[in-house]
Amino acid sequence: MASDFGSSGLLIVGHGSTVNPDSSAPSLSHAAEIRRRGIFGDVQCCFWKEEPSMRDALLMFQEGGIKEVYVVPNFISEGYFTQTVIPRELELSGRTTERIDGQVWNFCEPVGNHRSMTELLLERAREVAPGVPESEMSLLIVGHGTNLNDNSAIAAKREVEAIRQLGRYAAVLNTYMEEAPLISDWAKLTTTPHVVVVPFFIADGLHSYEDIPVLLGIEAAPSGSASERQRAGEVFRHNPHHLHGRSLYYASAIGTDARFADVIVEQVESFARDQHSISDNFARGLVA
Amino acid sequence: MTESVPQQSRQSAADEWLRTLPCRIGQIFVDRTAEGAFALRHRDDVNREDLAVYRDAEAAVAIAQYDDAGVYRPLKTAPNLRHGWSLMLADVTAVRVALDLFYPGRIPAYVAWRRGTLKTTPLRETLERQTGMYRVTAKITDEQANELVGSFCRSDGGCLRTIRWDRDIQGAPPSTLLPETKFDPAHDQMGKGEPVIPLLCQEPCNLLVAEARKVVKGSAE
Ligand code: SF4
Repeated sequence: MASDFGSSGLLIVGHGSTVNPDSSAPSLSHAAEIRRRGIFGDVQCCFWKEEPSMRDALLMFQEGGIKEVYVVPNFISEGYFTQTVIPRELELSGRTTERIDGQVWNFCEPVGNHRSMTELLLERAREVAPGVPESEMSLLIVGHGTNLNDNSAIAAKREVEAIRQLGRYAAVLNTYMEEAPLISDWAKLTTTPHVVVVPFFIADGLHSYEDIPVLLGIEAAPSGSASERQRAGEVFRHNPHHLHGRSLYYASAIGTDARFADVIVEQVESFARDQHSISDNFARGLVA
Repeated sequence: MTESVPQQSRQSAADEWLRTLPCRIGQIFVDRTAEGAFALRHRDDVNREDLAVYRDAEAAVAIAQYDDAGVYRPLKTAPNLRHGWSLMLADVTAVRVALDLFYPGRIPAYVAWRRGTLKTTPLRETLERQTGMYRVTAKITDEQANELVGSFCRSDGGCLRTIRWDRDIQGAPPSTLLPETKFDPAHDQMGKGEPVIPLLCQEPCNLLVAEARKVVKGSAE
């Protein structure tokens, strides 16, 4: 690693939820992991729907001589949040914003843009269905629909295309919860004996604990008696599910993968690298 | 050349208040143990012996998540912190991590206030900045805002923060329905009359913005 981030702060921005703690849980645990590694002078999270808010984050990094703050959106794609909400709330004027006190805030790319997403999805599939031959397996990536004001569906398509190119799986498909191709049609969409389903979401929550299991047919409509947490443990523990004469393997949201901590750090490093190469080129230009 | 800053130095400015223990912040009581460690617990639990002991600062995440009845706490400064736990921490750094998890963003706000640099944002400015589904909140009337803030932010059952923002740029009070003490950082919002480190509110929170949307939507129907 070329850069020293001892006088830099890291701010992970997540969506958060007013209804359950699952939405912010991955951001908090990635932050704890990165804090343990001692790379940055300070590591903080902030959220749209939870505390601390992005507005609160404006008051952070005032202690300990933090000169630069790297803002990493823990989002699957560019979209309304990365392009409108985060810059507005954090008062960012572009990729780099200098505050009155001279502190510089760098706006990095969302984690979902990172090239290792493809590898992480493959890893997830391998972990959830160990020893199952890929040639007998269909891999279904579940995304939010395209009706949302973001590019997460485009990002999911890009990942599916990249995995398909590898030619390892019998089939690789995009699916959605509320629009075609529907995840509830998984048995019709596939012909292989083994089917692996990985949600391309940043966090677990009602979608992955409840909605998708119901759509897959591995769970009846929620009874409301078990807590969400219990249901979550259950739903991911019972792989494979035997349905329609196939083996169905269901993974938790990709963003809960502990390796997302590495991805966050790498988004910072790649921003810093770009910046250096820009200033290097500029310097070279001056010399030439 | 970047100079490397040790983690410890970020404490110096913020944590001078931890030198005079015990201290209270929101519903939390912080004290030193005989062994020189730090002990955190609910202020109601100061004399209880039967507390579940945790030793990792990150345990604060789980403790702060649900209230005594097991209901999720979307607002961490709501007066419903769970009882029955004690958090034993080795040093000031860990205490700071825990308090940042119990009361996200409140210590930076307090530090800024102590330095005289806490910037506050009026309710109207927050609402006018909104986009998307929350843009409509700018339409809330002064009367509606007065009522909403008066009920949503009140310390008994709503939120323990001390409000520092005004309703608008002219400096109208956030709500005439709240007592003067709601705006006084020296006041113990828990109502015990003890010295406390205040949980300051420098800008209306997103939960209040979401409530404002309900009010505006409701009145439009
Ligand atoms: S606006 Fe401030 S005082 Fe009111 S509920 Fe939100 S955080 Fe509490």
